[in-house]
Amino acid sequence: MTDSALPTFIAESRELLREMEAALLECEQGETGAEAVNSIFRAAHTIKGSSGLFGLDGIVAFTHVVESVLDRVRANTLQMDRTLAAILLECRDHIEHLVNAVADGKSDDIQLATKGEGLLQRLTARAGGVGSAMTHTIATTPVAPAAGREHWQINVQFHTEVLRNGMDPLSFIRYLGTLGDIVALKSLTERLPAVEEFDAEACYLGFEIELASSESQERIEAAFEFVREDCTLQVRPQAPAAQEVAAEKREVDAKESKASKSSDSRSLRVDGDKLDKLIDLIGELVTAGATTTITARKAGLSELNESTLRLARLVEEVRDQALKLRMVQIGPTFSRFQRIVRDVAREIGKEIRLEIGGAETELDKTLIESITDPLTHLVRNAIDHGIETAEVRRARGKNVEGVVRLDAYHDSGSVVIEVADDGGGLKRERIVAKAIERGLIADGSSLTDSEAFALIFEPGFSTAEQVTNLSGRGVGMDVVKRNVNALRGTVELDSKEGEGTTVRIRLPLTLAIIDGFLVGVGNSSFVIPLELVEECVELGDEHRSPDGDQRYINLRGAVLPFVRLREMFSLRSSASRRESIVVIRCAGQRIGIVVDDLLGEMQAVIKPLSRLFSRIRGIGGSTILGTGQLALILDVTSLLDLCLNTRQAHTAPRRALMD
Amino acid sequence: MNKTAETIEDAERRHDQNQYLTFVLGRETFALGILSIKEILEYSPPTEIPMMPAFIRGVVNLRGAAVPVVDLCARFGRPSAAVTKKTCIVIVETRVEDESHVIGVVVDAVNEVLEIPGSEIEPAPSFGASIRADFIEGMGKVRGKFVMILDVDRVLCVEEMEMLTQAAASADVVQPAA
Repeated sequence: MTDSALPTFIAESRELLREMEAALLECEQGETGAEAVNSIFRAAHTIKGSSGLFGLDGIVAFTHVVESVLDRVRANTLQMDRTLAAILLECRDHIEHLVNAVADGKSDDIQLATKGEGLLQRLTARAGGVGSAMTHTIATTPVAPAAGREHWQINVQFHTEVLRNGMDPLSFIRYLGTLGDIVALKSLTERLPAVEEFDAEACYLGFEIELASSESQERIEAAFEFVREDCTLQVRPQAPAAQEVAAEKREVDAKESKASKSSDSRSLRVDGDKLDKLIDLIGELVTAGATTTITARKAGLSELNESTLRLARLVEEVRDQALKLRMVQIGPTFSRFQRIVRDVAREIGKEIRLEIGGAETELDKTLIESITDPLTHLVRNAIDHGIETAEVRRARGKNVEGVVRLDAYHDSGSVVIEVADDGGGLKRERIVAKAIERGLIADGSSLTDSEAFALIFEPGFSTAEQVTNLSGRGVGMDVVKRNVNALRGTVELDSKEGEGTTVRIRLPLTLAIIDGFLVGVGNSSFVIPLELVEECVELGDEHRSPDGDQRYINLRGAVLPFVRLREMFSLRSSASRRESIVVIRCAGQRIGIVVDDLLGEMQAVIKPLSRLFSRIRGIGGSTILGTGQLALILDVTSLLDLCLNTRQAHTAPRRALMD
Repeated sequence: MNKTAETIEDAERRHDQNQYLTFVLGRETFALGILSIKEILEYSPPTEIPMMPAFIRGVVNLRGAAVPVVDLCARFGRPSAAVTKKTCIVIVETRVEDESHVIGVVVDAVNEVLEIPGSEIEPAPSFGASIRADFIEGMGKVRGKFVMILDVDRVLCVEEMEMLTQAAASADVVQPAA
């Protein structure tokens, strides 16, 4: 085992610790199932085992005690209850700290060690009895579960010279008897030669002994100290047969009940960079394929055309599969919130349960990483401001225990993540009053509910009456919105006063490819994300006068403000004879973008622009067209901001853009 | 086996350090160290990026990557030359801290690859040159004439250009669209 395996150990341990946390939280809520206890035990056991391989004695020693307690829970000699689960959670945290310390390269932190000892004392005090037996049975090998009397399987083959060296095999077996009870003994006589070859001074015997003993493996091995050189010795712990059967049965149950568990074991770890490289290459393959298709069409050979089409279909399939490689289930991310909800709810003295739905919904790994922070914020908000205190809930005739619900599902090419609570809901009037006070909207303006609720995503907006240390400092919702927008997602909010609030985050499935709508302005091509496009209409001649001030059209009775991409981007090409409006909907607003040509739908592999263009607004990236030319992808959100800014300079009222 | 390969590579590197690519901008000859040059492309019009300062011509597709193209004339504050048959895009790699950036530069014509030994390179004059003094790494003597050896990390300093692009972009926003 080399140190290069250490990062794997750390990653695996963290994963196991997460599993352990989830299971412990389950137990704490009083749903102690055999599967949960098993999974906690397995986690502790595996961590202990692997840290033994790396010689991380601190982790082995600590985890061992935890494991022993767990083993008793598993054997039903100790009852799992809330207090025990709470202590075990703390122990889990301590193991995590120990693992983190190893990751940081400082495994001998004295403070940590003292803290660990305190924890163990509490644990053994709670579990009772095991303390004295455990502390000195720190196992030397990872596979030794030790609880009370253990069954040991000892296989000893004495070498032929033993008798000549003055040793009596029987004396060792007699000595073993002082260490515990010999349950079974079998002589191994395979090595006995035929009578004519038999040497009376030679030893041909071996023994298989089953020993019930509370001694450690070391002590048992030490019994054979004097014949160490003259025998082949194997000592291994043996689970009692009944327990083995039970364990097997449990495993079968687990397999049946959770197919996802078994799929875990068939998965393999791949370096994320390798995947990115593969997806990059496939992106190029798609582009190259498109070029070939165009060339083939020009060549006009029907056979060539056919084969390129077949190729294109295959490439598309390969791309879809490759993108799926990056997809991971959101479940583990959701489960992490169990802990946050528990801790935060305790801190502020509310009773809150977290419900999770759609755990098997898959989305891009990078998305999951980037969405954790905004989600944390939303969950904390729900606990802190959403759910009322127990008294208020009782007075309102609600269940005292509040519910926060995390949900995820796929919806027309995007992923929706919901954070819902059954708390007090948003008070519309207060939001509107506050917005008027802050000058965000004009007094007396009429807003729809969704427009009013959207106000809380404005920077510096917070209606919390109390500022707690968790949230409510007025930063937050705007940051959530910004983060989500940066991922090309949107946030919306539903709320009913007295019934609760639901925040809905809509995200693209992947960051690597978008469905786009290709438009042309002069010689330039632009891609508009397809999900934002509502329709395309021709720009009537009456709106085409270049000096005309009117920047809106009548779209079936509604006012549709528009911008000319050519002016917006100061493109040098001259206006074309025909122009069209692409109607897009973004952030609850509808605007038109005037372009020369509508070139149709396409799948665009997003190529990030150089850092040189990091401050650019209105453009989110680039993509390569089938012709090898580059097209720019519009970032509609920032484009809209850009319009608003220029419009405001024009003293045009901002509200004019809301439909 | 590996070791010899490395030493050969080192030797090549040492040799390459004195190699320069000379090219023409307007009526002057410039040189760039060959180690920073990745390749030379035939000129194809880059995709224009809106709201960029004049020295950024746009982006080109370099085997699937969008590479920004800088007009060196404009970067030096001169009018850009017209595109001719000889116009090229030289693909250059620069380093800022540990990040490497690939940037294309438009030049009027590419001349040759030369060896200019260190003894033939004079320090840059503090004034009197036609471009900013900190852009010049040194003055190389080639056949009795001076060529300006450019300091590629300065000329194509991503941080500086990023700031300039931002200034250009926000200037556009303030101007009310006519």
